[in-house]
Amino acid sequence: MPTLAVAFSFPLVLTALAGLPLLYLLLRITPPRPAQIPFPPLRLILNVRPTEETAAQMPWWLLLLRLVLASLLIVAMAGPVWHPLSSVLHKGPLVILIDNGWPAAPDWDRRTATASRRILAAAQRSSPVAVVVTSDGARDISALDPQKALERLQALKPVPVMPSRRPVLAAIEKFAATHAKPSLLWVADGVEDGDLHDFATKLEATTADVTLVTDPRPARALAAARNEASHFDVRVLSAGPATKDGGIVRALDSKGLALGEARFDFAGQKETTAEFNLPVELRNDIARLEIAGEHSAGAVFLLDERWRRRRIGLFSSETTDVAQPLLSPSYYLTKALAPFADVAEASPSTDDPVRSLLDTPISTLILADVGVVPDTAYEALTRFVEAGGVLVRFAGTHLAAASDDLVPVRLRRGGRFLGGAMSWDSPKTLAPFSRESPFFGLTVPAEVTVSRQVLAEPDPGLAAKSWAQLSDGTPLVTAERRGKGLIVLFHVTADTTWSNLPLSGLFVDMLRKLVALSGETAQEDAEMPAAQAAAGDPAVAALAPQHALDGFGSLGPPPPEATPIAPGFQGPVTLEHPPGFYGPTDGVVALNALSPNDHLVGADYPALGLHTESMEELGPIDLQPWLLAAAFLLFAADGLAAHWLAGGLRGSAGARLTAGVLIAGLFLVGVPPARAAEAAGNAPADLASALKTRLAYVASGDARVDEVTRLGLLSLSRILAQRTSLSPGEPAAVDPARDELSFYPLLYWPIVATRPQPPREAVAKAAAFMKQGGTIVFDTRDALTARPDGPPTPEGKWLKSLLEGVDVPQLEPIPADHVVTKTFYLLDGFIGRYTSGISWIEALPPAPADDAPRPARAGDSVSPIVITSNDLAAGWASDADGESLYSLVPGGERQHELALRGGVNLVMYTLTGNYKSDQVHVKDLLDRLAH
Amino acid sequence: MPIVRLLPKSESRTGRRHQYQARALADRLPALCANARLAAASMRHGVHGRRQAGIGETFWQFRPFTANEPVSLIDWRRSAKDDRLYVREREWEAANTVMIWIDRSPSMGFSSRLALEPKVDRALVLGLALADLLVRGGERAGLLGLTPALAIRQIIERFGEVLLAEERSEAYAAEELPARTSLARGAQAVLISDFLCDPEALALTVKALSSQGASGHLVLISDPVEESFPFAGHVEFVDVDSGARLRLGRAEHLRETYRQRLMQHREAIAAIARNAGWSVLIHRTDRPATEALLALRTKLESPAAFDLPQRRKATN
Repeated sequence: MPTLAVAFSFPLVLTALAGLPLLYLLLRITPPRPAQIPFPPLRLILNVRPTEETAAQMPWWLLLLRLVLASLLIVAMAGPVWHPLSSVLHKGPLVILIDNGWPAAPDWDRRTATASRRILAAAQRSSPVAVVVTSDGARDISALDPQKALERLQALKPVPVMPSRRPVLAAIEKFAATHAKPSLLWVADGVEDGDLHDFATKLEATTADVTLVTDPRPARALAAARNEASHFDVRVLSAGPATKDGGIVRALDSKGLALGEARFDFAGQKETTAEFNLPVELRNDIARLEIAGEHSAGAVFLLDERWRRRRIGLFSSETTDVAQPLLSPSYYLTKALAPFADVAEASPSTDDPVRSLLDTPISTLILADVGVVPDTAYEALTRFVEAGGVLVRFAGTHLAAASDDLVPVRLRRGGRFLGGAMSWDSPKTLAPFSRESPFFGLTVPAEVTVSRQVLAEPDPGLAAKSWAQLSDGTPLVTAERRGKGLIVLFHVTADTTWSNLPLSGLFVDMLRKLVALSGETAQEDAEMPAAQAAAGDPAVAALAPQHALDGFGSLGPPPPEATPIAPGFQGPVTLEHPPGFYGPTDGVVALNALSPNDHLVGADYPALGLHTESMEELGPIDLQPWLLAAAFLLFAADGLAAHWLAGGLRGSAGARLTAGVLIAGLFLVGVPPARAAEAAGNAPADLASALKTRLAYVASGDARVDEVTRLGLLSLSRILAQRTSLSPGEPAAVDPARDELSFYPLLYWPIVATRPQPPREAVAKAAAFMKQGGTIVFDTRDALTARPDGPPTPEGKWLKSLLEGVDVPQLEPIPADHVVTKTFYLLDGFIGRYTSGISWIEALPPAPADDAPRPARAGDSVSPIVITSNDLAAGWASDADGESLYSLVPGGERQHELALRGGVNLVMYTLTGNYKSDQVHVKDLLDRLAH
Repeated sequence: MPIVRLLPKSESRTGRRHQYQARALADRLPALCANARLAAASMRHGVHGRRQAGIGETFWQFRPFTANEPVSLIDWRRSAKDDRLYVREREWEAANTVMIWIDRSPSMGFSSRLALEPKVDRALVLGLALADLLVRGGERAGLLGLTPALAIRQIIERFGEVLLAEERSEAYAAEELPARTSLARGAQAVLISDFLCDPEALALTVKALSSQGASGHLVLISDPVEESFPFAGHVEFVDVDSGARLRLGRAEHLRETYRQRLMQHREAIAAIARNAGWSVLIHRTDRPATEALLALRTKLESPAAFDLPQRRKATN
């Protein structure tokens, strides 16, 4: 379909261009106005009739200018559109098929914009539109009127999976059968899902014509992250040869803070790796990897406990023999653990190696052939296990000789030999793992044999404790829960003297499972059934979705259709099992959009032979405003030229200045109107407040009161700077309706009953300020007029109506043991200009019943509200010499000082919270109270 | 095309700049009287003896004391020589009077790029400088129709104030010619204008001024553009005073005609001056003001200027 570069909305208007020659003639015979020259001696020649008077003609360039101006106006009125949509000639309904798998997410807006342009074009032809997304599956398609279709389009979101396109085909076929043959717009995501060609052929057969809109940018995804010994790496996949080869993978922790970045570069390939070189502690904190700038579920890789690299303490009784490492159990253990954990070996020089290992942050402790843990370490070890640590012990001659009770089963002394010279039994092989065992699923190689082991006493429950058995049923690995932790005993040595298990891959896998367990056990609640018991019960084992990724790759609550997964579910993800976190909060399991071995295959659209458009193409551009702007410029130029021809631009500098301003104005007009600068700058006052802690007060609007308040806060700020480590800035007057309050810890609000109530938005902002941890001191300043049992004062009523609808906590008169009376000075109350008023503060929780001396009590947080009637600000206000500015009631220097101390305490209270109620200060506080 | 402009009303007012320029100009010329004394050794300028008794410095005659005269008038030294009482009389000395008139009509606000300043500026500067020069030379100068003849040191400032006060007054309308007042005998008139008026009107004015025997000078200020008429092409001329318009398709074709008309006009003016025994000085604004002032001074010094009324008196 050939596309015109310019189309006109009202082509008939163009016929007006035929009038241009007429205009040409008219313009030709209308000369411009001549230059006007004042000439005093004119009367000398006034009576002279000029011999010839040929009207000067309009200069050709001015004529041209005006003709162009006229044509521009005519063309602009015709409504030209640059690059119009290739108008679909087909009159039937329009079906818009949008691939909404996650590969479409990064430029979802452009996809919907493309589709909405089509819908608008369809609206002009008033043909029905159906919007279909691949995740709809075989759901019936209904034709909508364009307005509804637009609404539906806006409501569409990409899904975090890659739905198959095949079910949609059936729906489209059904639609085509019931309606006229539709034309189809397919906004494709560029990823091949197997039978693309077949799909396209069928589409073409079903519909009148198919337009394919593709995005040249290939989708990118992350798969298979690995926490290696020295680094952390993740596979980065691309659906096709990328225009932008490189990129950044960002590692985030569970709170969304960036931990590190790794560059990757496809270098023409479709797969590459991004490598993070981070310390192991940081690597263990990684909860999420994402490709920077690629907002899709596929570009996010979630990590759970399985990717944690654990720190494992290792202590072997044979630490001395380093000359022959192959004889040492620690050699095998280190080799086996190194790929997925960090092994910390006890340094032989310390006198208590187990203890020193436990002092480091380890999740698993491996004791290889340690018979009895030294008494000094025993207690620490018990605590470690009780608190959730995993203790893995390997047998050996020491253990066989004597053991403490930190073993899962009672052991028979001595152990047994198999296949030795004195034995008539051959070395035993391993039995397959039972379902209850955490090792279930690991294949047991036949060549693993055990020639010697320690034996467990056949106590009841031994079977339940066995995680691995020999072919004759004797337990090889036993485990027992202790507190929150786990004790695991390998009945063989960690070296090759008793069995060749340490040489096999199974050994590594078993250790890996154990180390993975260490993460879970550490967090599992005590009442949770033991892992081996739980594994058999599918109802318990199903992991409910907890957080799910949406198509854009952000975590949110799981969609309603999400269902639990079985443990060990590896995908593929579906809409029922969207990628995200599953399972209990403590031990979440991550499910990712791509399985570790997935590949992205780019779709080969050119091979389909469909009419293809690129999304990169610009949409239709309405040329009318531009033409009108150009016409306006020409118009201004014409004005200037006419002015110049009339002699206007010659002479004074003023005229030249005018011309300059005019020309500059033209350039300003020429700037496209879309350049509306965003003028949302921060107010300078806000900037100052953000940089320096300041006291603030609400400007009541009553100039006298505001001045008192300002002076009071100024004096208080001065005193604070003198006596405390806080040096606040100049007090700020704020209007809660207009100003940002979050910069101020304390807001002083003097009540003036004669002023109108602030608007509700202001009150709502003040309420939000209190909720977010700010403190507002309301000062009714009516202590002289208020009676405890009398009618409420006007200020009281004003405050009451102000606080209507605000969530004010329960209040109480400030108790003597409230922490606010102790934060800097030890005070009895808060006085200002008056001393008789009562100050109210958020009620504290009731005092604990114990008799411990508690001079100060505090709630969990700072009281959001303090109400007083003592006119604090007037009490604080002082001149440069510290003399009170206002007459105090009853008066005296002491009252002024106490008022200031109260102010200091209030500020300290808002800034330090319940710090002073910490029992650490009890002794000092009691001492000082005693004086 | 020459670039011309007309001063707006606010700019054409008499201002401080005129006073400064006039003072500077007058300072550059030596004091009129002193110079004249030295150069011509004549007493025609400054305080002139009137050959009769009056207020003066120079001794005139002794006359007998008559009764009813103040005793203080008696010259005791002379009276001591004989029995009679004598009174010492001095010669009456009086200064020349020059009345100046400066045209401030809209046409004077014309200036072209070729000129150094608008015509009105030049006229004001010339007039004020002349007054200063005269006063410093001991003569008396006045503004025709506005002030009496004055001999004060601050003559420029006084004139400036008077002119400005007149321009500020509500009823002020700039005239092309001075009102028809007559001058005292022996006074001289200096009219500074572009004289782009009817020659008949000018003739009447000159006649009225000189009706009592006053002599005078016409200083014709002219812009160079007014003489050369360098316009060409499609031009619309606007008359400044009357607002009449003339649109010309080819202005250059009219140049010769205009020049002829201008010559005729000037001829007419010269004839008027000749008839009244006055002199004409044509000054173009592209020439320095000093030139005009020097010429004017020479004219005022020349015997013809002062002889004329005396001669006429003699013939009477």
